[in-house]
Amino acid sequence: MALLERNEWYDIARDTNWTPTYVSQENLFPPTMSDPYQIPIDEWETFDEPYKVSFREYVRTQREKDGSAYSVKAALSRSRFYDQACEGWASVLKLHYGTVALTEYQACQFQARMVRFGPSPSMRNMATFGMLDEMRHAQLQLFFPHELVHRDRQYDWAHEAAHTNNWAVIGGRHAMDDIMMCRDAVTGSLMVSFAFETGLTNLQMIGLSTDAANMGDFTFSNLITSIQSDEARHAQLGTPTIEIMVRNGYKEDAQKILDIAFWRVWRLFSVSVGIPMDYYIPLEQRHMSFKEFMHEWVNRQYVRQVEDLGLAKPWYWQHFLDDIENHHHCQQGGIWSWRPTVWWNPPGAVGPKERQWLEKKYPGWNDSYGTYWDVITENLLADREEKTHPECVPIICNMCQIPISNRPGKAWKARPYQFEHEGRRYNFCTEPCRWIFTTDPNRYKDHETIVDRMYSGEIQPPDLDGVLKYMGIGVVSEGGRDGYNYQWIEGFRSAAAE
Amino acid sequence: MTDNERSNSVGPVLRTGEVADAVIEAIQEDNPGRKFVIDDKVSYVRIETEGECIIRKETLSKYMGRPFSITELELDLTSFSGRVETTDNQIRFFLERSL
Ligand SMILES: [Fe+2]
Ligand SMILES: [Fe+2]
Ligand SMILES: [Zn+2]
Repeated sequence: MALLERNEWYDIARDTNWTPTYVSQENLFPPTMSDPYQIPIDEWETFDEPYKVSFREYVRTQREKDGSAYSVKAALSRSRFYDQACEGWASVLKLHYGTVALTEYQACQFQARMVRFGPSPSMRNMATFGMLDEMRHAQLQLFFPHELVHRDRQYDWAHEAAHTNNWAVIGGRHAMDDIMMCRDAVTGSLMVSFAFETGLTNLQMIGLSTDAANMGDFTFSNLITSIQSDEARHAQLGTPTIEIMVRNGYKEDAQKILDIAFWRVWRLFSVSVGIPMDYYIPLEQRHMSFKEFMHEWVNRQYVRQVEDLGLAKPWYWQHFLDDIENHHHCQQGGIWSWRPTVWWNPPGAVGPKERQWLEKKYPGWNDSYGTYWDVITENLLADREEKTHPECVPIICNMCQIPISNRPGKAWKARPYQFEHEGRRYNFCTEPCRWIFTTDPNRYKDHETIVDRMYSGEIQPPDLDGVLKYMGIGVVSEGGRDGYNYQWIEGFRSAAAE
Repeated sequence: MTDNERSNSVGPVLRTGEVADAVIEAIQEDNPGRKFVIDDKVSYVRIETEGECIIRKETLSKYMGRPFSITELELDLTSFSGRVETTDNQIRFFLERSL
């Protein structure tokens, strides 16, 4: 029996709207969960997903994707790859799995919100596949690191991170709660499907795959690109939503929603992808700098997609360009210094050759970030390791939850951007983080940073040991140390000897 | 962003492999006369043409050497520049507002 072509039955199959008689439309689709703009239902019925798939096709394709990902994994787990992989690469994996695996379940929950509360039947249909995709992503990224746990307990953070109050996890949770867990279907679809999935996930899931392939980790390279092939499809939920909002007079709202979400996710990615690409991957295997990947994926690809929908680059574009040059360099210094607080072993990895590379990719690096590492290198060469651990508590941004920092050098520019609200003073790392807070102070005002929790008495005892335990360090696994046991300073020692 | 980063280039980003190789052949056949760029990044390849980029199911099947549906392309299609539109017979990348 011949099957109908998909386009002959697709429109009927996806039209699941009906007229409710037992409850009102508003009870069935409460604005706070569904569409706070109350765009008419016949407008939502024009939602035409650009990337179509039937359930039958979906199941067949996903089965094949999983078959390939798991067979590559099986081949590699029989090899000795992970016995020989360097600590820099292990840190990339630990950071990735710890921050990404359970975030996929959050993404799954958000897709489920669109499945139930999406105002358009096509949106609900596509989100059903998106929800199943995210479940697959979580399970893959829990299962793959699991086999590494017996080698190294730090891999267990894939499972455990989200259940701890590690400072990096608090940052991720604050952002994901903001853009995914606590948004209605329409707003969230712009924030998640568009700003997050169309805009930034490519960096982590495709950009990093190049470095993975250069490292010889084909399991990881295959895994993350396989995941991204799902994203490329379900990220398309954002485009028709934006078009409908723009057409119905909500262009400014759409712009604001994207600007909030893009900045929130950017701050996380500059740490979780920027640092690995420019510091953890051994020099010989680095394909491009983080900045170059950012230009490819965001400045060229994403911005063009935004503009094609009639929207504009975020108002803070200049701040963003500046942040691409700086933020991850600041945080590499900060995270390395605070290495006992993280669940991976961050390599300092700024030997003479690496510094040359950094200077070439980020002109001016030596005169700014280099001066910070000069002091550390000097201390390490003189066997004063204890001096490389900071003694004061950083000021944490009340939005992104990341320590406030800025480019070091002759004039160190770090300063908080402040805002007073109901008698409390809030500190922010940048103008955009402060701006996001001011868009809805009631939404954000009660949250406490990890440092606030030290002062408020939530963390007991409020000293380093108390904080580490509160963050899951020494509980889930030991905390971090320098990934290369300070080997990277040897190049300076031999240069000094000559 | 500098202005020379803005362009009308559109097209797929694929995992490297036999599908990507077939897509490269198919795009050249299905988009005659358009400027064509391949950017090979080890684990992925970015293929871009000017303004519009079409891949037809039949052309793709010819270069794959077997019947190949547009949905199957999803196995290796990890991203794309521009916007996308899919039907049973083809996938099309495009922009509505050309520079
Ligand atoms: Fe995902
Ligand atoms: Fe996703
Ligand atoms: Zn911030």
